[in-house]
Amino acid sequence: MRIDAELVRRMASLSSLDVSAAEVEAFAEELTRIVEHFETLRQVPDSLLAGQDDAPSSPLRPDVPAARGETPPAYLSDNAPELSHGHFVVPRVVTRSE
Amino acid sequence: MIEGLLDGPAHELAAAVRDGRVRAAEVAEAALRRAAKAKEAHGSFLVLSPETARAQAADVDRRIASGEPLPLAGVPLAVKDNINVAGLPTTAGSRILAGFASADDATCVARLVAGGCVVVGKTSCDEFGMGSSNENGAWGPVRNPWDPTRVPGGSSGGSAAAVAARAVPLAIGTDTGGSVRQPAALCGLVGVKPTYGRVPRYGLVAFASSLDQAGPLARTVRDAALALSAMSGPDPRDSTSLQGAPPDLLSGLERGAEGLRVGVLAEAEGAEGGLHRDVAAAFRRTADLLRAAGAAVAPVSVPRVALAIPVYYLVATAEASSNLSRFDGVRYGARQGEGDLGELYRASRSRGFGPEVKRRILLGTFALSAGYHDAYYGRAQKVRGLLARDFSEAFLACDAILCPTSPEPAFPLGSKTGDPLSMYLADVFTVPASLAGLPAVSVPVGLSSEGLPIGMQLVGTAGSEPTLLALARAVEKASGAAADRPPGAVR
Repeated sequence: MRIDAELVRRMASLSSLDVSAAEVEAFAEELTRIVEHFETLRQVPDSLLAGQDDAPSSPLRPDVPAARGETPPAYLSDNAPELSHGHFVVPRVVTRSE
Repeated sequence: MIEGLLDGPAHELAAAVRDGRVRAAEVAEAALRRAAKAKEAHGSFLVLSPETARAQAADVDRRIASGEPLPLAGVPLAVKDNINVAGLPTTAGSRILAGFASADDATCVARLVAGGCVVVGKTSCDEFGMGSSNENGAWGPVRNPWDPTRVPGGSSGGSAAAVAARAVPLAIGTDTGGSVRQPAALCGLVGVKPTYGRVPRYGLVAFASSLDQAGPLARTVRDAALALSAMSGPDPRDSTSLQGAPPDLLSGLERGAEGLRVGVLAEAEGAEGGLHRDVAAAFRRTADLLRAAGAAVAPVSVPRVALAIPVYYLVATAEASSNLSRFDGVRYGARQGEGDLGELYRASRSRGFGPEVKRRILLGTFALSAGYHDAYYGRAQKVRGLLARDFSEAFLACDAILCPTSPEPAFPLGSKTGDPLSMYLADVFTVPASLAGLPAVSVPVGLSSEGLPIGMQLVGTAGSEPTLLALARAVEKASGAAADRPPGAVR
């Protein structure tokens, strides 16, 4: 399958990545080669896959949520680009019409 | 005496600290000096941690004085930079995490420190563990102590180079598709990828959560077994950690290969991309060594092993595209961009991630996106299940499977960076065990005609680490490769 520039730009948009024209061209070429290699998976007959479970199960146990006492924990204020009154600060996303 | 101890295995150094022949504080100072030289010579360390090391070493000396039998007493430890150590930076080799300081220790680090280890620094890695050469880190490549024009392997290349150069006797890395085993092989070390869930993932920067495992890199099998023993066991902070007590890795270490059945991977010599002639010769020689040590050695087939590369690079990139969505410039890491929230996300991620990470995010997003999911990610997950079944059937006929760890010895820096697919194919022998959640050990077996280390891999059933380590010990004894010392070793 060919990965063209339009598909690269669409994946970049879904991934919240800006890509330059040069990057689009390079990624399209590289990803096409890689995805063409992945086509070898089509060698596996569909009949073999029909009743096949997905990946081997992981040893997942039920999660046990636990509350942290400190609000906010110190590591948040140590690492957050901008924190105010215990909240992460981001650019305004809702504006009031004047 | 300290210099000699740092040149030797970790278990002998720990015995000297326990016996009072040397203090952990003295060992830590010598290791910090060596680590500074290794950082300069090979770029293996990103940051040294003298304050942490001195405090931990003083604590070890106090605990030894009070009679605690610490198995890793005073052993200097290097930690890959995608594993948290309290108070130290964790960048995972990425600009997007520049300035991030860890709040606490990863479980595996806390357990090694509880066992007596002393953290001397964080080591360079491919960005977010994505790479097989340690050329994808934001802070520059790592050079192989066996030949500084060649890669140390990846993504735990800094950890491997630090141990190979004799800066420290022990390091930890993470292995998603071979990132402990492959650099171990390229640097002449023992590297272990445990059974999935054996070592808790709490405190690791997630790359592909169904595959990521931390593991030790050491110069001897006994050292690797000691470290893995300390790291293993259930953790309430990781819902995927295996419940129940981990197996005893040490008491059977010297049992030898007698009576064990070793399958020689039939598909190895025909692997895509080819097998370097020296690796092929070492593969056959290792099978002979195991036969001479009493193992029953016979060919075994894992028919779909050749499909492991596409399966791995679809599953791992899909998981990565999801895991790395948390890096958005809001909660931690480097924030970039002016304007609205979308612009902040895009600018922080675009300037923070390097090219290989972007490539894998795009690939993973493609594999998961509407219209392509069933044909790529969905199919890969089903073939992953078939591969696990192939392994189960192969293990009816053998206790462990022998194959090369890497199809070639360390390759020249820059020789594969222009061809991502060629770099991915270097993982051909390591990703199958990862996909099936199986344990695997890489053990050095000697040097190539160019004087570069070659490693062989033993893969076993889930929970078979004691058998794998005993076989690896048998290979180690027979090959004598643990005594090989690289020209770039520091003092």
